[in-house]
Amino acid sequence: MSKNIDLEQEGIQVKKSCCYFCHQNCGVLAYVKDGKVLDIEGDLDFPTNQGGLCSRGNIAMKHLDHPARVNYPLKRVGKRGAGEWQQISWEQALNEIAEKLSKIRDEFGAEAVATAGGTQRTDDWARRRFMNLFGSPNGFHNAHLCWIPTFMVETAIYGWCPFDLDLDNSRCLVLWGQNPGASGMPEIHHIMDLKAKGLKVIVIDPRYTETAAKADMWLPLRPGSDLALALAWLHVIIYEGLFDPEFVDEWCVGFGELADHVEQYSPEWAEPLTWLSADQIRESARMYAMNKPGNIQWGTSIDQIGKSAGAAMQARALIRAITGNLDAPGSDLLTGPSPDFVTDEEMEANDQLPDEQKAKQIGSDKFKMVTWPGYSRIAELTKEVWGKAPTAEWMCEAHPPSVFRAILTEKPYPVKALLVSATNPINSYGESKLTLEALKAVEFLVTCEYWLTPTAMLSDYVLPVAGALERPTITSSYGCADFLLASQRAIQPMYERRNDYNFWRDLGIRLGQGEMWPWETVEDAYYSKIAPLGYGVESYDEFVENYRYHFPEREYQKYKRIGFATPSKKVELYSSVLEELGYPPLPTYIGPSENEVDDPDLAKEYPLVLTTGGGFMPFHHSEHFQIKELRFIRHEPYMDINPATAAELSIKDGDWVWIETKRGRIKQKANLTQGIDPRVVYTQRGWWYPERDMREPELGGYLESNANVLTSVADDDCDPLSGAWANRGLLCKVYKVTDANEKEAK
Amino acid sequence: MARYAMILDTRRCIGCHSCTVACKVHNDLPLEMIYNPVTTIGPTGVFPNVHMMNLPLLCMHCGNPPCVDACPTGASQQSPEGIVFIEEKKCISCKACIMACPYGARVPNHEKGTVQKCDFCKERVHVGKLPYCVQTCHQKARIFGDMEDETSEVYKLVNSSHPVRLLGELGTEPYAFYICESEVKL
Amino acid sequence: MDQKHDVWGWLLAVDIFLAGMGGGMLVIIGILDLFIGTGRTSLLGNLLAPVFIGIGASILILELGRPFQALRVFMNPKATLTIGAWFMSFAITFGFVYASFGIDMFFWSGWVFARKIFAVLCMVCGLVVASYPGVLLGRHKGRPFWNGPGMIILFLLSSLVTGVAAHILSGFVLPPSTLTDVLGTFPKLAAGLLTFQLLLWFGYILVKRSGGTSAEAIASQRWIKGDLSSIFQIGFLLLGTLLPLVLTLSSSQSTQAIGAALVLLGGIIMRILVIRGGEDRTWLPGEQKYRSRLPKGDETFLRAWNK
Repeated sequence: MSKNIDLEQEGIQVKKSCCYFCHQNCGVLAYVKDGKVLDIEGDLDFPTNQGGLCSRGNIAMKHLDHPARVNYPLKRVGKRGAGEWQQISWEQALNEIAEKLSKIRDEFGAEAVATAGGTQRTDDWARRRFMNLFGSPNGFHNAHLCWIPTFMVETAIYGWCPFDLDLDNSRCLVLWGQNPGASGMPEIHHIMDLKAKGLKVIVIDPRYTETAAKADMWLPLRPGSDLALALAWLHVIIYEGLFDPEFVDEWCVGFGELADHVEQYSPEWAEPLTWLSADQIRESARMYAMNKPGNIQWGTSIDQIGKSAGAAMQARALIRAITGNLDAPGSDLLTGPSPDFVTDEEMEANDQLPDEQKAKQIGSDKFKMVTWPGYSRIAELTKEVWGKAPTAEWMCEAHPPSVFRAILTEKPYPVKALLVSATNPINSYGESKLTLEALKAVEFLVTCEYWLTPTAMLSDYVLPVAGALERPTITSSYGCADFLLASQRAIQPMYERRNDYNFWRDLGIRLGQGEMWPWETVEDAYYSKIAPLGYGVESYDEFVENYRYHFPEREYQKYKRIGFATPSKKVELYSSVLEELGYPPLPTYIGPSENEVDDPDLAKEYPLVLTTGGGFMPFHHSEHFQIKELRFIRHEPYMDINPATAAELSIKDGDWVWIETKRGRIKQKANLTQGIDPRVVYTQRGWWYPERDMREPELGGYLESNANVLTSVADDDCDPLSGAWANRGLLCKVYKVTDANEKEAK
Repeated sequence: MARYAMILDTRRCIGCHSCTVACKVHNDLPLEMIYNPVTTIGPTGVFPNVHMMNLPLLCMHCGNPPCVDACPTGASQQSPEGIVFIEEKKCISCKACIMACPYGARVPNHEKGTVQKCDFCKERVHVGKLPYCVQTCHQKARIFGDMEDETSEVYKLVNSSHPVRLLGELGTEPYAFYICESEVKL
Repeated sequence: MDQKHDVWGWLLAVDIFLAGMGGGMLVIIGILDLFIGTGRTSLLGNLLAPVFIGIGASILILELGRPFQALRVFMNPKATLTIGAWFMSFAITFGFVYASFGIDMFFWSGWVFARKIFAVLCMVCGLVVASYPGVLLGRHKGRPFWNGPGMIILFLLSSLVTGVAAHILSGFVLPPSTLTDVLGTFPKLAAGLLTFQLLLWFGYILVKRSGGTSAEAIASQRWIKGDLSSIFQIGFLLLGTLLPLVLTLSSSQSTQAIGAALVLLGGIIMRILVIRGGEDRTWLPGEQKYRSRLPKGDETFLRAWNK
């Protein structure tokens, strides 16, 4: 396209936009004329991507006006899933939805309305604001799988969670189940630069990933055994005297208890649990502890291991703490919330939700860390020290599987409406069959989407949402960092698409929230966020055009001035907050959700260990399967299996195979690779086939290759702290697809 | 006169396919036409002692391009700056150049009835911009520049990092230079 | 996204078969006229030689992406294809002119000196047309099965033997004017060339198998045990070479004719196999796996969402 477009022609404006296909939000320049985008390219002046765009970033123009996009409000006229729609106006859609929600609230209470979100690709604070004003505590995301439990556990221990890495001054980086080589392009670029200058990189991952291939040390642990590894690291660091005695003395409480507690967790103890040798464990722990300052970069794998997730996050946080790698130059920085601009939490109107409604939040009785009980305690502590609280949307949510169950069982109470925005729960939430049943059973389903996903196909209303290039964006790490990057919309939304902000606002106004939505446009709202920064700008766009980002001057070791945001104002190795909430104050070993040690019988039937959920190029979660310019690179799903295991199972490279757990089976093609343990298999996530019939019962082959058919959301398999469910470390079996077994009903 | 060249730093390439997609989208290429695939070698070895390398490809803009000699119509040409390109109106798609190129860098466009190839985004380069595949690479695994300019990064890297040329033994003198980890042989 | 469409296909094989055969026929016409005597080949054969080359060239045009601009092919004197195109044009012209000397109605049919000149031109151009595909393919450094001078001899030889066979068959239909025993000499010539062809192909595959590069060794496997092996061994070596070798040695003319027809079959099989044998480039590291995972072209998603 661009080859045939003269970008020097008269009348072209260059808009400072951003990519919106993951939440890195790389800077993009959009060439706009007469309200149309002619072309885009990476913004060379943007601080993170410096002109770079990954494969997804490059397809913005294909995404903008793709023939399969939803461009007008749709109302279901046929049976659910029949794909019979009537195009209606926004006015009609909003009126009818508001009327229905209001009826449900009258009959069943506000809590009978739930909302589901996906990756941070929407104005989440606006959804939260709507829900708070509406009176329901039952908003949720895939937050539980995506670093939010980590945020809350770490905040309980040392008062915030590191967002910012001072990598330039670092000597060692641990990527714990993180693969920026496939999921965080601006990050891996930085890492490779620094590695060339001597930064040591340790990758902990069952797979030999893009990132592992570049590491100094690769630890291919058994999927889900992160807790055992973290505990053994603590053991090594403490008993080999590799911790930071001054920091521990002055700024930590509970070191003695911790030392006593982890004595049992020697590397030899961890060996059979992690499948790593004691030497590997020692060597890696030494590499991190002895190359100070060091970093353990954020990553979401531990959020996805289920039962032992919370304890593993806790143990990992303690590794960082006892080595003094907290808020010091070159280490993981506790930025705290921004004191300078209005944070997302301050936009959420959390004080508007009555306490009795907060108490009704589904899952908060079982899982306290990312629901009101834990959140309110932590918010109280952080307000004391930082003056502000973490974003509630994300950090304080209903437990999604429990909401789906509530839809089906009406326990603890009926949930009648689900508003889905920026997610396709059938593919992206755990145990797809449960999710599917719930989506089919819920009385009222509304989806805000780009595409007619399987979820959208089951909806009563589908609303067209503005995407990349059509919306302004503020990037501030889930609203929890002290910096922000700002981008403007290149064009007004095409067709009848609208920003999700306007959906919530317009719906809110119809439900009597008018006074609480003073900002007519997203830009108005954003302007109110950045105005206190004092740049003297008259509008949000002016800020983007002239400043584009705000990075406050870095202050190291802020705890020396204000203390840590915990009850003792110190790092609580022995966590009083966790204890208060009824959880073990020290990280205590529990096995992975499914494992061969605790359940040898299960392991007999399902002898392989499964890991799912890792991102892979060129897709993002369950997105982009329609974009041919991406799809052609990997047009079929592939699972990784070691050639030795494959040989035993008579599986050849490229064969279709079934991967089966207790919960069901899916098929993907076999990719034979030495990059995975013979006892482990990895499946790609997100797969559906939008090119197929999208009507029931085909629904785009939504269960055929979808890794979440295999995952587990049983309460027992979830992390007791956060309710995070199990995507990794489950037991499975693999066998070849044959004509005969394909017909078997499963 | 400039002599354009590209360095491919396989130590940095992570196989994300951004360059392939950027090229396809910006050059408006049909799906089957790929100027610059990225292949993966490995993981080689036996778990857990494995190695993996990604190989970003493109037209090598050879010093001695067999495709130009093979072209019966004179459509395939080389500019004084070393850019091998096709003058589309002269091409009849006899595929002689496709067959002659040892790197698979030329692809037929069945819609147009011509052959097409990477031309280092010469329109961009002539106005001082980088080729799309270079600009889009987060990893800076593709480095573009002028070999005649002793201050350029490509000149310095070619003369300091012992790059290798793909199928160098064929005498095509590629101006795409590959930097590999020392233990790797291409 | 089938990569097969990206390389030369069977049309080219047909072209080089027909043109090669025509070229071979011209060489024989020239040699016989110059060194043995006149009227040894059938007028039909003399006419068919340029016709075959012409049909071959026309078929090649169909393979072009822009057939109506085929004339551009004459533009680059450095390109083997350009040289081939010029010589094919010359060969067609000279071939027709030479054949016209055998038609009494033309007033120049008795101009012996002129005929001899054209016999020389036919021989030279025929030789180039018969062997240039070998030069064209042998220059492909990145195509391990073709690379090297061996292809020149194989093509020249096959062109000659198919040329001889075509003359035999032409002679059957329309016997030569002066000498009747041509059918007796030609089959022996064919048998000799076939023997030579058999030996050369064994040698060629052997050299490739133990070849200079591993890519050559891999390429040879397609002929020894791989997808081309049965057609090569049964179709070409047995039916197209060995069997006609035996048949042409028999004393029965009709058996010889069958042998000649089989030679033509062998010739076309060989061209198709050789063209297919060049589909494989020397693969770059990782390239085969990369390409094997690309869509083949019949996937549903490729057809969906077309505006």
